Amino acid sequence: MVEGGIEWVAAVNLVIWTGLFVYLLRLGNKIAELEKKQ
Amino acid sequence: MKRLLAWLLWLWMCAVLYGAFHYAPLAKGFIGESSRILFFHVPMAWVSFTGFIAAAVWSARYLWGGRQERHDRAAAVAIELGMIYGVLATVTGAIWAKIMWGAYWNWDPRQTSILISLLFYGAYLALRGAVEDRDTRGRLSAAYALIGLVVTPFLFWIMPRIMFTLHPEPVVNVQGKVEIESRMWQVLMASAVGFTALFFWTHNLACRLQALSERRAALRK
Repeated sequence: MVEGGIEWVAAVNLVIWTGLFVYLLRLGNKIAELEKKQ
Repeated sequence: MKRLLAWLLWLWMCAVLYGAFHYAPLAKGFIGESSRILFFHVPMAWVSFTGFIAAAVWSARYLWGGRQERHDRAAAVAIELGMIYGVLATVTGAIWAKIMWGAYWNWDPRQTSILISLLFYGAYLALRGAVEDRDTRGRLSAAYALIGLVVTPFLFWIMPRIMFTLHPEPVVNVQGKVEIESRMWQVLMASAVGFTALFFWTHNLACRLQALSERRAALRK
């Protein structure tokens, strides 16, 4: 692998995971809001 | 409380990433850093299996637990998520196969068995989509998901162990022993726990979302 390549892969993984986490957190809040309305 | 658990999961997965890319050593006999894919590929396959088995359990609860819609919904969502994780396990496995074997797809028993299981559960989703009556759909798909209790363990655990395969020995080998470097084992287990938690979190969200859209559709009628 290219030198430093593994750090890039780790960084991309971290970005994907954090993005997914934020999305799920916001989705959970939105669902809770809609459940209250109903 | 739920928010705190979510943040803990985020921290946990960050630790898993650190473990997978820095803490765990490389496995012997693998090209370059390719063995690191193990920490994602194996937990994804494990969560896929968990989803399919959980779907069978919810289906049994639907059939013999008063035909509650939430059980039918939970089973369907578990299969959808199980398929997503199954596809991810297949893709990560194919990337690894390209590095180690020179081709993405080799019809190895491991690859073939996961493909068959994906087709099996793809048929489950087709079945659900083909039946309009809610009760009939629930009964038929629950019965189908219960067949998965036999099919899935065979495809995930038995078939790859009884056929000749190029795939590395499973984490729990044929003799029922775990022969893996201890730091790799720690990261693998942590990753499996993290992905399982992620599965149940997304499952909970997807079920609630579906219940909301069903309620909304019923109100429109």
